[in-house]
Order: sequence, then C-alpha cells, then structure tokens
Amino acid sequence: MASIIDIKGECALHVRNFDFTYKGATAPSLKKISMPIAKNSITALIGPSGCGKTTLLRSFNRMHDLYPGNKYEGEILFDGRNILDPKEDLIHLRTRIGMIFQKPTAFPMSIYDNVAYGLRLKGIKNKSELDGRVEKALQDAAIWKETQDRLKHDANGLSGGQQQRLCIARAIAVEPEVLLFDEPTSALDPISTQGIEKLVIELKEKVSIIIVTHNMQQAARVSDYTGFMYLGDLIELGYTEELFVTPKEKLTQEYITGKFG
Amino acid sequence: MSPVQKRIFINKLALIFSTLSAIIALAFLFWILGVLVMKGLSALNWNIFIYEGAPPGYEESGLKHALVGQLILVGMATGVGVPLGILAGTYLSEYGKNSKLANTIRDISDIMMSAPSIVIGAFVYAIVVLPMGHFSAWAGSIALGIIMIPIILRTTDDMLQLVPGTLREAAFALGAPKYKVILNVVYRGAKAGILTGVLLGVARVAGETAPLLFTSFNDNFFTTDLSQAMPSLTVTMFNYATSPYEDWQQLGWAAAFILSMFILGLNILGRLILLSTKKGK
Amino acid sequence: MIDKLFQNLTRISAFLILLIVAWIFVVLFNQSTEAMQTFGLDFLTKDEWAPNVDKFGAYAAIFGSVASTFLAMLLSIPIAIGVAIFLSEIAHPKIKGFFGVSVELLAAIPSVIYGMWGLFYFVPILRDLTGGMGIGLLAAGIVLAIMILPFMAAVTRDAMNTTPDILKESAYALGGTQWDVIKDVIIPYAKAGIIGSLILALGRAIGETMAVTFVMGNVHKVPTSILSPTTSIPVTLANEFTEADTSLYFSSLFGLALTLLIMSFVVIAVAKFYFLRKARRA
Repeated sequence: MASIIDIKGECALHVRNFDFTYKGATAPSLKKISMPIAKNSITALIGPSGCGKTTLLRSFNRMHDLYPGNKYEGEILFDGRNILDPKEDLIHLRTRIGMIFQKPTAFPMSIYDNVAYGLRLKGIKNKSELDGRVEKALQDAAIWKETQDRLKHDANGLSGGQQQRLCIARAIAVEPEVLLFDEPTSALDPISTQGIEKLVIELKEKVSIIIVTHNMQQAARVSDYTGFMYLGDLIELGYTEELFVTPKEKLTQEYITGKFG
Repeated sequence: MSPVQKRIFINKLALIFSTLSAIIALAFLFWILGVLVMKGLSALNWNIFIYEGAPPGYEESGLKHALVGQLILVGMATGVGVPLGILAGTYLSEYGKNSKLANTIRDISDIMMSAPSIVIGAFVYAIVVLPMGHFSAWAGSIALGIIMIPIILRTTDDMLQLVPGTLREAAFALGAPKYKVILNVVYRGAKAGILTGVLLGVARVAGETAPLLFTSFNDNFFTTDLSQAMPSLTVTMFNYATSPYEDWQQLGWAAAFILSMFILGLNILGRLILLSTKKGK
Repeated sequence: MIDKLFQNLTRISAFLILLIVAWIFVVLFNQSTEAMQTFGLDFLTKDEWAPNVDKFGAYAAIFGSVASTFLAMLLSIPIAIGVAIFLSEIAHPKIKGFFGVSVELLAAIPSVIYGMWGLFYFVPILRDLTGGMGIGLLAAGIVLAIMILPFMAAVTRDAMNTTPDILKESAYALGGTQWDVIKDVIIPYAKAGIIGSLILALGRAIGETMAVTFVMGNVHKVPTSILSPTTSIPVTLANEFTEADTSLYFSSLFGLALTLLIMSFVVIAVAKFYFLRKARRA
C-alpha cells in the first residue's frame, strides 16, 4: 500500500484515483494515483524509466490530448474543478499550467517574439505592455542581462542553457499558477544545470512546481516533496528530506540506495 | 469576441479550409482514377491480349504488340539501368563516401532525376536514331535506361549507407577483401531496400511516354526486332487517344488501365517489401 | 586484384552519370548551333514559328511553358499546402495513413493518363463553362496542377513532418490552437523544406510533356487570353520532332530542348542546393 503524506498547507492540485491508459494499450500506464500537490512548493517525481512519471506530468496540462485515443479516468482537481472533464477548455488550462520540456524548445523566431508568444496568444497587443512583460519574464528567468541587447536576434543562436532559460521565461511570461518541468536539465551541461536548478527554487515563490527528474540528487537538491513512482503506481509521497533518509516503503529504499533502476 | 475566441474561430476556419482542400484534391484524383478504372475495365477483354493492332473498325484488334513491346523496352532498360545504377551507388556509398567528387555525383544525379524526360528523348535521338537512320527499340530502351540510372543510384547509395559500419568492420576483421565485404555483407544487409528501389525505378520508367516518342517511336504491329521501331503501351495510348476513332480510344483506355495497374502493383509491392523488413527488425 | 577491378567497375559506373549529363549538354548544344547561328538571340525573343518559311522563334513556346507552369503553381500551391496540413496535423491517424498512401500512389500514375482524362473529361466541361475550344492555356494549367498535386502534397507533408513533436507541444503548452501551432511553429520551422519542395514540383511541372500535350493546342502564338490555345516547349517537341524536314527545323527543336533543359536544371538546382540543403542543415 502506498504511503502518502498529508500536506498541511494549501494544495495547488489534487489527484484522485487517477488512471491513464494509452491508445491501444490493454492495461493502464498509471494506476489509481492519488496525491496532493502543495502550493508554492516544488514536488519532484522520481522513479526508473517507464514508471509513468512523465505520463503523470503530461496529464496535468492534458498534453496527451494531442494524440487521439488516450484515456483518462478519475480526477485531477484544480481550483475546485476536475480538469479531466472532456469539456475542459484546454487553451485556458494550458495558460494556467505551463510546461518546460526535456530539451530547449526555442521557436524559430526572435528572442523577444519567443517570450511574447504566449502573451500575444492571450490577446495582448499593446507594445509597451508587451515590452514590459517580456523584460520582466526575462529578468525572472535570469537571462535578461545576456539578451537585452539582442532581443531581435534569432533565439536559436543562444546556447542550450540560455535557450532553456528562455523557455522558462516564455512559460512564466503568461503568469501561470503551476509549472511542469519534464527533466528540464537532461540535455544540459553541469553548469547550466546548476543555474536552472537555482532558478526553479526561486520560482516557487510565485508558482507551484512539479518536476520530473531521473536524477535523484536533483530531486533532493531542489524539491520540498518527492513522489516515488514504480510501474505506474505512486509508491510513496513524502517530504524530500524524510523520503531520502527514512523512506517508509521498501521499494523506495531499494531505489534510492541504487538496488535497481 | 475576446482575442482567444477569435483565435479559436480562426483555427476552425483554417482547419475547415485545409480539410476542404484535401477533399477537393482527392475528389479530382478519384475522379481521374474512377474514369481510368471504369473506362479501362469496360474496354478490357481477351482480344486485347491475343491480337495486335489493326486499323480502326476491325473486331480483331488488340494490344499484344504494345504489351510485348513495353515489356521488351522496360526489360532492356532495367537490364542496363539497374546494374549501372547499383554499381554507381556502391561507389558513392563504399568508396567515394563524403568526398567532393561523390557529393558532386549525388547532386548531379539528383538533378537528373527531375530533368524533363522529353529532353532525354531528344538526346538519344541525336546519338542513336540519327546515326542508325531510323527509330529502334535500342534507342527507346537506352532513353529509359538513362532515366533509370539516377533513381537506382540514389536509392542504392541511401540503402547501403543504412547498413551499420560495425557490420563491415566485423567482416573486415575476418580478413575479407573489400569487394567480398560489399558483395556478401553490405549488399545482403541492404537487399530489401535495393529491391524496393529497383521496383520503384521500373515503375517510374514504365510510365514514361515522352522519351519514347522519337526513339522507339511506335508501330501498330507485333515485332521483336530490336533494331526497328517498337510499339509501347504509353505511345500507343497517346496515339490511340488522340485518334478520332472510338474503338482506338477504347483500346487507349484499356492500355492506360493495364499500365496503371502494373505501376501501382510495383509501387505497392515495393512498399510491402520495405515494410516487412522494418517489422522484421 | 579482383578488389581493384571491382572498385574500378563501380567508379566507372559512377562517372558514367557525369559523362551522360555532360554529353547531353554537348549534344544538344551541337545540334542547336545551326539555329543559334541563324537566329541568334532572336531565337529566344521572337514568336514567329513558321516551318514553311524556315523561321523559328521559341518565344511562344517558352512563354507557354512559363505561363502554364505558373498557372499550375498558382492553383496547386494553396491546395497542396492545405492537403499537407490535413495529412500532417488534422487527419485522424487511420485516415492519415490511408490518404497519405493514396496521395503517394497517385503521384506514381503516369502523366499521360492525366492528359487523357483532361482531353476527354475536363476539356468538354471547360468548353461548356467558358465557351471557345476548351483546349488552351487554362486547361493546360489546370491539368498540370492536378498532375503535380500529389507529388507536391506528399513532399510538403514530409517537410512539415520534420518539425519535432516537442516543439509543437511547447506551443500547445502555451495555449496555442492547432492553427497557431501550424502557422507560428511548423511553417516557420519547415519553411526552407516547404519552399524547396514546391520549387522541386515546379521543376517537374515545367518539363512535363504528356499531361499537357493533349490539352494545350500546339499553336505557336503567345496567348492573348487565358483561354487561347498555345504551346509549350515539351508540347512542341512531342508534336513536331518526327515531322521536322529541314536541318534548320531540327536544329531549332534541339534549341528548344536545350532551353528547357537549362530552365529545369536551374530551377531544380535552386530547390535542391539552396532550400533543401538549408532545410537539412537546420
């Protein structure tokens, strides 16, 4: 039986009895997941590859809907509503729950236009408002200094680490309430990784963060809560410092001591 | 309308437009295909395979001459184009690799692949028909062969490059000379891909009309004499379709149907071969 | 020993392709010298094509080639892009597979069949709709557009499919609609590939003989309207090559062939070496 702690503060999201089945699969890839996601904190999801951590992450902004035939069951509550409802307005949902991917995904346009993209989608056309919010986002993503004199340059000219910060700036520009990070440093060098980790910690003042990582040290360094998943089950969710020192489940212990995965 | 609603509206409009264009395109294409099948099937009968061409109005007229001529022309073109194409592709992939020369040859053959086929016909006319003094099956198959070489060359090159380098190294490590490595290991590894390339190449030249117009020309009678003009399905189709006689036009549709089925068959077969090897891995 | 022999065999075969291409240029050039010496630049700029008085100006045929190709591109590009978007982004996976393969198979149908369809089925309709002969520039442009459409749609779709999923997902993750993703991410990302594919299709259209021979009219006149019968280089070659009776007539036809070869060479080279190479590097 899974061991899930209660969260004392406010929750950003609540997952209840959540099953996810990929198109054509006979068995669900996520089985009866129930967990709270604490507000203004960082929740890390760890586990061996194929455990379902990315699948769970991509359910929070309904990314799976891009590929027809996938099936959700159960509930994910956000702001009192079940976002798995087929009638959910996905465009609106995705502006409230942003996402950062495994690899930097700078769009083929200028640095400025990348950050302004989400704002323009929201309908903001006013030049000075755009300018202000782009600058603020770039500052919050700690990349303003490097980009302020070349905002009109192609974003693909930036280094990998810079591009990932740009993507973070792009995501926070629309002021989401939740940010999903899908192994955000897996394509980066150690120094860029350090920078991104620092940034993620700073961001939790404003947003609630869920981060999927294959790197246990990273989870230990940045997160407040850690969930350990295995074969589609959430085995344990606990305070990060407790989970890595005194895990309650045997499987968690085996995983963090390197017995498998 | 809020900006977001406006975006959703434009999105719907754009999706409707592109679905509509897909429907328009497919409607035209299926119209053509439908005409081909209806006309072709209704014109099809055993006489077509038994009798050769006859003047308009004759009961006993068929396409035997053109069918056999087509097979001879495409067969000879394949006999020339396939070995040359495979050897040249082998050079690019196994010897030339990424050298400047090899890349130039790749570029030139890419351009050749899309060059107007009627120009190839004019070229072969000048180098074969003029010196011989008359049209011939030789000239027709040389023209088709020239069109075929770049197609086979590029697929062979691509397919051989897909064979993992470690496989070659393993064979070299056993002390095999390079030609044996290529013949026994590399070709075997790329067998299905090369075969598919050959099938698609044959299908491509089988549908060519323009380069035959003034090389193999045409003939309304059965012949296997390679040094004389030779009928082909495509040119016969062209001549019959542009004639004012209804029975000839009918035969033209029959020829179009037979040829199209042959070409589609080769294409489908090629895809199946490629698909089955992908599944095998 | 055998090793060297085999290597040389492959090398000779590879060189053969260069040799053939060079040879084609040399032969066409030699054969057309008489026309070039007789008419000079007038060959390209004059539209009088009168075999009975041994006067040959290729302008009408060149114009017809360019105009019919332009018309075909104008009609087919929006539809081909629409089809490509449909195939890569909208269609349900099952439909995608079926339509995708049928489009590719349709691209393999011999062009002579498009021409026959045009003559027997499309021209009569056009004649009823517009009056006149039906045969002419418009008919040629439309038949050419339909013929080139499957190839164009297939290569455009392939170019669009090179956009990484993760890039599209990032745009969706910001609240983009499908169309937002197509116009802001996929098209800019695949731009070079798409343009290259379209130009490649243009290169094919300009040298196409059989789809247009039936429906263009073979009249050596610069068309006065879009409905006028006219001719193009391949149409002239197909109709007149076996009829030429004087050496100057022949030479002029070879001049046409050379002109066409150079035109298509340039177009294809631009598509391949500029756009498609850029697309591959990106």
